[in-house]
Amino acid sequence: MNEDNKPFKENDPGWQGGVAKNITFIVTKDCQLACKYCYLVGKNEKERMSWETAKAAIDYILGHEADFPEASVVWDFIGGEPFLEIELIDKICDYLKTEMFRLRHHWFDSYRFSFSTNGINYHTDKVQDFIKKNHTHLSIGITIDGTRRKHDLNRIWKGDGPERGSYDDVVRNIPLWLEQFPGGGTKVTISSADIPYICESVLHLYSLGIHEVNINCVFEDVWSEGDDKRFEDQLMQLADAIIDGGYYQDYACSFFSEHIGKPLDPELENQNWCGAGKMLSVDAAGNFYPCTRFAAYSLREKRPIIIGNVRDGIDKNKLRPFLTLDRLTQSPRECIDCEVASGCAWCQGENYDAAATPTVYQRATAICLMHKARVRANNYYWNRLFRKLELEGEREQWEKNKPESNDVIC
Amino acid sequence: MAKKKVGQVTPVERDEIQRLFERRNGLNELAKILTADNAELYERLVTDMGETGTKFQQWWDTMAQKYSWESIPDGNWEINFDTCEIFLVTPEV
Amino acid sequence: MLQYMIILLDDTSTSFCHYEVNKTERHLISLDDLRAGIRLAMIENLNVQMVYPDYELPQEYKELINTIDHSDIVPIALNHNDADVVVTDGWNSTPPAGGVAVIRTTLAELLQHGEDVSKWLATVTRLNIVITDVASFTDDDQKAYSNFLNLLGENIDKLYVNGASPQLNLLTDRMMLSAMNNCGAGDTCITLAPNGKFYVCPAFYYENPDESVGDLENGINIPNKQLYKLDYAPLCRQCDAWHCKRCVWLNRQLTLEVNTPGREQCVMSHLERNASRQLLTSIRQKGTFLPDKPEITEIDYLDPFDKIKN
Repeated sequence: MNEDNKPFKENDPGWQGGVAKNITFIVTKDCQLACKYCYLVGKNEKERMSWETAKAAIDYILGHEADFPEASVVWDFIGGEPFLEIELIDKICDYLKTEMFRLRHHWFDSYRFSFSTNGINYHTDKVQDFIKKNHTHLSIGITIDGTRRKHDLNRIWKGDGPERGSYDDVVRNIPLWLEQFPGGGTKVTISSADIPYICESVLHLYSLGIHEVNINCVFEDVWSEGDDKRFEDQLMQLADAIIDGGYYQDYACSFFSEHIGKPLDPELENQNWCGAGKMLSVDAAGNFYPCTRFAAYSLREKRPIIIGNVRDGIDKNKLRPFLTLDRLTQSPRECIDCEVASGCAWCQGENYDAAATPTVYQRATAICLMHKARVRANNYYWNRLFRKLELEGEREQWEKNKPESNDVIC
Repeated sequence: MAKKKVGQVTPVERDEIQRLFERRNGLNELAKILTADNAELYERLVTDMGETGTKFQQWWDTMAQKYSWESIPDGNWEINFDTCEIFLVTPEV
Repeated sequence: MLQYMIILLDDTSTSFCHYEVNKTERHLISLDDLRAGIRLAMIENLNVQMVYPDYELPQEYKELINTIDHSDIVPIALNHNDADVVVTDGWNSTPPAGGVAVIRTTLAELLQHGEDVSKWLATVTRLNIVITDVASFTDDDQKAYSNFLNLLGENIDKLYVNGASPQLNLLTDRMMLSAMNNCGAGDTCITLAPNGKFYVCPAFYYENPDESVGDLENGINIPNKQLYKLDYAPLCRQCDAWHCKRCVWLNRQLTLEVNTPGREQCVMSHLERNASRQLLTSIRQKGTFLPDKPEITEIDYLDPFDKIKN
């Protein structure tokens, strides 16, 4: 018998990938860290969400059920560092649960609370109490970038004085996190300076017990000449290490995917990559955004795209460009004709920030050479792996049980 | 633990138990914060917990009867919500 | 490809479209800039439309303007006998005999002046009605506007039966078209402002003079110019409200993107489209009419966005 005294036990249900509404509370624009690659250029200690604003946002959203027909919802909390505001988050979540139930809202039967944290406060009593209280509805990712030297290269403490890395402050919480969320994955971000440490970092994360490593290059134009070759070399080393070490059986790394590097059909595969506009973000001022990346603190060059606020609601006209976006309309000819286009991602916010005019219809291509390098290494990985499995007679078995990873890019 | 596939349900049947599973979890976590001070809501919660629990059990009973899944003492059935597969899970001896 | 150049002769040149002229001080384009604009139009084979203020231009301007084949867009108050298009705000003016007229009006005013529309149609060759408050059109206004258009359609139907062929942009353009025929700002049409700089259209100049897309010295350079083309407008390229202005300035006001219309513009254009359909059907019941033009099909949406979403 299981703990419910029933002669059966369910698996973790997983989650409604791709069909849930994602609603993000930007609870603070503060963070303990000052990561060098962070796209949040306007972080500060002042803009903290008040309870009144959070409540008004919830009342608006739950009060307009017809405008949010998605079967499921992910209530997402980001910062800065969201757990700096754990007391507010706890109050928000309690209110959400109560109100969804009181209003007989359809989301009561299908919701999650999601966090992407730097992990520093993970062990504190307040965070742990929150986790215990909401465990079956939580999705928590701790960001750790790899080995100490890779992590500390970018993820440094905020403040004056000598640079201080945050690796030790994060890694101590990994065992507790994995104990509570055994399937927990981490998100690794690669910019130019990180390239030499990719292979060692992924293997290090595996050694910490993290079975799913979601890793991607930043979309900003940060790349130097030769980075693509160095990147390819690192991925080739990683491919060899994963195959020779047998990691492919139980571990996943999002760099390697069977589905990338193919041409895309202009009609059948014309959908937008990014979910901006299908998501909703709200900040401390009570403004709504199509995604957090369109809030002022995320933008270098452009004005924020505000699509409404908690008092007046959502201006649906402002959502129309996002919801009618397709791949071809925003892509330059080189992307449309690209023979390795599949899996080449983009971020609508970065597209907007980098565009020649204030538009979401101009795709940034800074990542082009890095994607092509990834495709080459990816081809090598699968050719080597399949050959090995075939020679060992394990291909069929592996296909049945292969680990899956999500191509999480933002 | 040993795990053996013993059956399969339809996606519609899977959706039904998944919704009940989610609702049961939601009610359990709501019960941690809702007190008898909020009498009306509390009463609704208690009633709902009872009803959801009953429906949950009924689903397994109905499906077990419909599909005649293999079972053994001390074993549990599990459903994989992604694949709709039913597994018999038994403790290792 | 560029085909038209609008030249605003003065900062107070009349508005003939959705935008308001927010400058009150007279400021004529310099003769040098006007000359250079005319020269460019000749070199690029552009049709020129001169837009006049409500005062007489100096003689040297008139002479220079006459050096190129062009159209004159003139405020009705100027009493310009040779105007190709006369423009008036509201319904107080007397219709001129013949020619093309533009009436700028709010929706509420328009709904009260159905008889005046018929009066204007009886004297001018063509009437363009520009509704100036499209942005505030709500779903509650749909029924009133639809009824108004259908009533107007009945009057036009009678005129056609009696052998007249009045043109009213809101109702007859759609019947005559076989494909999209929109404003073309930024695509087929460019505007030269009195400051000697180019703009996507006059509205962009009045909204923000710093937002020019080139000047007479360096030429025209429209960033992301593909976004002004129909192929790059996901909603419009599959729409058949072919007479719609598809105003890129309104688009940007309402949706922040020049290639995406707001719901208001779409719904109004579809109400006009549907009223045109009714008019076309009615005229054709009485005899052969525009035999080379296809039927306007019945559709079940007023906003193509709803079609895409579903």
